[in-house]
Amino acid sequence: MIKFKDVSKIYYSSLNSSPITALKNISFSVQPREFVSIVGRSGAGKTTLVKLLIGEEKLTEGEIFFNNKNIAGIKSNELQKIRKRIGVVYQDYRLLFSKTVYENVSYILEVMGFSDEDITRDVPRILEIVGLQERVKNFPQELSGGEQQRLVIARALVHQPEIVIADEPTGNLDPYNTFEVIDLFKRINKSGTTVILATHDKRIIDGLAKRVITLEAGRLIRDEQSGKFIL
Amino acid sequence: MFTSLKRILKFAWQGFSRNKVLGFEVMFIMAIAVFLITSLFLFQGISNFLIKEVQSKVDVSVYFKENVLEEEILNVERDLYKFSNEIESVKYISREKALQNFIEKHKQEPIYLEALEQIGYNPFLPSLNIKARDPSYYAPISNYLSQDSLQGVIERVSYFQNKKVIDKLSSITANIKTVVISLSLILGLLAVLITFNTIKLTIFTSKEEILTMQLVGASNWFIKGPFVIQGTLYGIASILAVNFLFLITFAFFSPRLEIFFLGFNLLNYFQINFLSLFLIQIAFAGILAIFSTLLALHKYLKV
Repeated sequence: MIKFKDVSKIYYSSLNSSPITALKNISFSVQPREFVSIVGRSGAGKTTLVKLLIGEEKLTEGEIFFNNKNIAGIKSNELQKIRKRIGVVYQDYRLLFSKTVYENVSYILEVMGFSDEDITRDVPRILEIVGLQERVKNFPQELSGGEQQRLVIARALVHQPEIVIADEPTGNLDPYNTFEVIDLFKRINKSGTTVILATHDKRIIDGLAKRVITLEAGRLIRDEQSGKFIL
Repeated sequence: MFTSLKRILKFAWQGFSRNKVLGFEVMFIMAIAVFLITSLFLFQGISNFLIKEVQSKVDVSVYFKENVLEEEILNVERDLYKFSNEIESVKYISREKALQNFIEKHKQEPIYLEALEQIGYNPFLPSLNIKARDPSYYAPISNYLSQDSLQGVIERVSYFQNKKVIDKLSSITANIKTVVISLSLILGLLAVLITFNTIKLTIFTSKEEILTMQLVGASNWFIKGPFVIQGTLYGIASILAVNFLFLITFAFFSPRLEIFFLGFNLLNYFQINFLSLFLIQIAFAGILAIFSTLLALHKYLKV
C-alpha cells in the first residue's frame, strides 16, 4: 500500500550554511490493514516522514509509492485524490479557525462530495464518538487543547479513509482520553483501515504490541513486527 | 457540480458575514478606490461641460461687403459644408436682422439708439456666424474664408481680431484634457494598487487555512471559489456604499454646487449616466477583486 524507497529529506536554510538532514535513506513498506507505529525522540524525523507521505514536503532523494503511484512526480489533482483517501491527525492540529467544530468536520465531507443527508448523519455521530457533541457551534479557539486534538481526530476519521496517519495524536490528552483515542484507532484498524501512528509515548507503544519502526536522527534503526519502545 | 457551487457560495457567505472587522477594512479601502474612479467619472463630466460652456461663448463672424447679394452669402454658407466635421453651426444674419438685434440689445440704453438715429442708415453688414466644434478649428476655417476668390465679397473675418484669445482658449482646453487623462491614470493606478494590497493582506491572514484545505484534498477551485466570491461581495458592497454617499451628497448640495460649476447639475448628470457609471464601477471593482484574489491565492496554492 505504502512504500518508502531510499527516501532522504534535507532542509537547506539560506541563513544556516549547513543543511539539516531530517531523513536519510529510509526504506520500508506498509501493507493494507496494518497498524504501524513510528517512534523516535523529538527531531528524529517522524513529522517529516508524515509530511512527505501526504505530499506537503518534497523529498530530496528516493521514491514514495501510494498504491504503486509515485507521489514525488504526481500531478496536483492526482495528489488531491490521494489526500482524500488519507485521514491525517496533525501534531499542530491544522484546524480551520474561521469554521465551527461542526463545519471543520463537515468540510471534509463537502470536499469529498458527500450528500447533505450523509453529512447531517455522519458529522454528529463522529463528534459524539470523540465527545464533542456539546461543542458543535463553538469555534476551535474556544476549545481546550485536548478538545482541539479530539476535533482533529474526528476530522481525520469522518470520511472513513483507507489510511489514517496520526502524528502525536495524544500529546494534549489526559490518560483517560489517551486510552479512548488509542482504542478508537485499534477499532478502526480492526475494521480494515491502515493506521500509521507517530508518537514518542512509551506506554502507548508497549501496550499496542504491534509493528514498530524506530527512527533516530533521521535514520531507520529498527523495524520489528511486534515491537516495544526502545531508544 | 451544482452541489460544489452551492457549497462554494455557502463558504463565501460565511467568510463575508463572519469576518466583520477585516471585511469592513477591505470594504473601506475598496470604497476609497471606487470613490476615486467615480470622482474621475464625474470630473470628466464636469470638465467636458465647462469646456463646452466656454467654447460656446466663442465664435467667428464673417462680415460681407455692403452690396453683396444674399444669394452670394448663402453660396459661401453652402461652401462651408465641406467643414461639416469641424463646424457645429452656421447662422446667416442679414443687415436687417443685425440692426434688429442691436436695437433689442440696447433698448435700455438710449445713447446707442440716438447714435444710430444720427447716422441715418443701417450701418450693419450682413454676416455668417460660425461656431466650431473645437477652438482649434477656427484657424483653418478662417484661412479658407480669406482666400483670394472670396476677397470680392468678404469685408473681414473676426477671427483675426480675436486670434490670441481663441488660441489661448484652445491651448487651455487641450491642457485640461491632458490633466484629466493623466489624473485618471495616476489615481486609477493608485486605486488598483491599494485594493490589490488590501486583498493580498486578507488572503495572507488565511494562508494557514488555505494550506489545511489543500492537505485535506480540496481542489484548487473549491479553495479559490469562496475567496473570489467574497472579494466580489466586498466590491459590490463598496460600490453600493459609494453610490449611496454620492446620491445623498448631491441630493442635498446639488443646487449650491450647480452655482459653483456654472450650471452643471451633478445630481442630474449622476442619474442620467448611472448605468454606464455602475458598469464601470462593477468592471473596475469586480475585475480588480477577482484578479487580486487569484493572484494572492496563487502564492499559497503550491503544496
